[in-house]
Amino acid sequence: MKKLFSFITAFSCAAVLSSCGSKNKSEITKPDGKLDPCTLRFSWWGGDDRHEATLEAIELWESKHPDIKIVPEYGGWDGWTEKVTAQIGSAAEPDILQINYDWLITMSSDGKGFYDIGTLDGLDLSGFDEEVLSFGKVGGIMNAVPVSLSGRGLFYNSDVFSSVGAEYPSTWDELSDLGSVFGDKDLYPIDLDIQSGGTAWYFAVVYIQQKTGREFITMDGQLGFTEDDIRDALVFYKDLEDEHVIRTLKTRTDEDGNAALYQSSEFIDGKIAGVLEWGSAVGKYESVLLQGVLEAGPFLSDGKGNNGGWMIKPSLLYAISKNTDHPDEAAAFMDFLLNNEECAEILGTTRGVPASSYAEESLEKNGKLTGPAQDSNEMLDKLDTVTISPYMELSRMKEFYNTAIEAVSYNTADPSEAAHEMYESIVRYLEKIRK
Amino acid sequence: MKKMTYSNPVGVGKFTGLLLISPFILGFLLFTLSPFVCSFILGLTDSDGISAPVFNGGENYIRMLTDSGLHKAIGVTFRYTALLVPLKMLVSLAVALLLNMELKAMSFYRTAFYIPSILGANLSVVIMWQYLFTSGGLVDQLLGTVGASHVSWYGEPFHAMMIIVLLRLWEFGSTMVIFLAALRDIPRELYDAAKTDGCGRVRAFFHITLPMLKNVIFINLVLQTISAIQEFNAPYMITGGGPMKETYTLGMLIYDEMFRFNDAGYANAVSWVMFVLIAVVVALLYKLTGRMREGTK
Repeated sequence: MKKLFSFITAFSCAAVLSSCGSKNKSEITKPDGKLDPCTLRFSWWGGDDRHEATLEAIELWESKHPDIKIVPEYGGWDGWTEKVTAQIGSAAEPDILQINYDWLITMSSDGKGFYDIGTLDGLDLSGFDEEVLSFGKVGGIMNAVPVSLSGRGLFYNSDVFSSVGAEYPSTWDELSDLGSVFGDKDLYPIDLDIQSGGTAWYFAVVYIQQKTGREFITMDGQLGFTEDDIRDALVFYKDLEDEHVIRTLKTRTDEDGNAALYQSSEFIDGKIAGVLEWGSAVGKYESVLLQGVLEAGPFLSDGKGNNGGWMIKPSLLYAISKNTDHPDEAAAFMDFLLNNEECAEILGTTRGVPASSYAEESLEKNGKLTGPAQDSNEMLDKLDTVTISPYMELSRMKEFYNTAIEAVSYNTADPSEAAHEMYESIVRYLEKIRK
Repeated sequence: MKKMTYSNPVGVGKFTGLLLISPFILGFLLFTLSPFVCSFILGLTDSDGISAPVFNGGENYIRMLTDSGLHKAIGVTFRYTALLVPLKMLVSLAVALLLNMELKAMSFYRTAFYIPSILGANLSVVIMWQYLFTSGGLVDQLLGTVGASHVSWYGEPFHAMMIIVLLRLWEFGSTMVIFLAALRDIPRELYDAAKTDGCGRVRAFFHITLPMLKNVIFINLVLQTISAIQEFNAPYMITGGGPMKETYTLGMLIYDEMFRFNDAGYANAVSWVMFVLIAVVVALLYKLTGRMREGTK
């Protein structure tokens, strides 16, 4: 009996110790250059337009490669990072993943969190600009391939603007003036949020970057703004609320609850006439509008020729799990998603304007390079843009921004107090995580 | 008379008992004890949930002393518990008393009252809550018909807390079923004798029903308190912890630290603090209700 209890104790200790450590395969499967029959899992987040197009692309792949099945895993952005983090933590992630830019820092800080794509022959990267590819490298290791480059721009409901008799603003002052015009009809020209989008702080950062020429966070994770810059950004945000350009956080929460803007009746019914959104994700807003179409508006300037400060980043990247048993097949599928002409035609601009020149040419040839995402990208190309630091997008950083914005909006702190708190928190945190 | 013998399908060796309880033992070791110990070990590391953890002593516990976000979450959790538990106890007892009466279609009512407990805080309930409580929602419209002014349910901290409390209050089924079972166990003779002595319904409730329910009240109180301190789903789905973190519970903080901020070490350390808090509260409840429960022995 004593032996049995010893066995049970030893077994439980072994179970505990083995389950506490990180659970990765001891050896990475090497590519063999062949495509063997297998089943691959592919995960992505997005709106319905992206889901439908991707499922159709998978069908096309399976018709060309009946032996390589793709199991799709998809959903909305809310909670997606948490889901993938849990999967990676338990080595249960899909073979191919659509990843966000900041995940390269959080999930692969040493460049070994994802498969080294540079070792795979099945993926043709000749259609990509070297600079674009560099966004997917960590410590010189190719961890991911950017699907598209994108920036947040302003998109407006054409019907609402026509009914109000307003033009799309091209300067910050013009935007402010729209507050009273729209306010008279109990409408709002745009909306900003502190939820998963975090557009409130983003918009304020653009304004200050344009005004001062300083980057908010540098690519190597240094805070570029001074405490005064942060205070000015918060004052700018508060002014937007006071001038009826955007809803106050209280009104927004009261009207939408915890729902995202594209799911809220206020946007669908046209009470909110504009959004600040990534060109790669604007489709979800387009698809829900009952009346009118969504059109890209000008990137705001100071009216004196300064239109800098607007930001771009790799909107999405594809990565391969380091735990995959089928690296060659995963690379072939990724190549299909990125470069294949027919696939590009199906996917369109649901992930933004493709970074692969092959996919872009295919869309252009077939007249599919149209719509607000493309219009916004063309305007963005003409600006002197700032590349977003992946540090800016970290969840903990977003928490600092949102806390300050909320304090200012609810008047629980004045902009100076909130800026001081935010400045201190950011400096402390960046110091801690900078490698 | 011939002695009856029974065959034991698993044999009669000394391991039979252990074999029979082994499914539980294995399940307990793998799915309860293992994560429990793991969590404690991880709480002493700088684990990010992805790379190999490194031991950092009590750093996570020291950090808690100055983490104002954690202090606020603990306050919110206790405020929520203090609001929800007494209300839920009262409502479930009241409904159990009603359902204990001999009325027509009683089984239908029992099922109907239990359904919300099955639904939980799932997506359809969240959407329903949004239709009910957002600006211009059903509750707003109903209040408008009686001339009441608009109430900001989601936007005001206390109101946001109340809509979460309401959601959980609505799910009183399990508590009510335990009360109902206990009510059914009270001998009818006690009420008959009291009635003969001229005792009214209210007096019978306070002098027969409540004393006979003391142990069940304690069980429900403990179960509901534990579940309220562990609350995660309802605020996560309904308010996202807002506004201004006024509905941000300890459960949400642990989840965020673990999965959003990749700070698994800290998340596990905080979950141990939650465990200790629950243990202390239950011990206090046990102590405070000691005399009351003694009285029923």
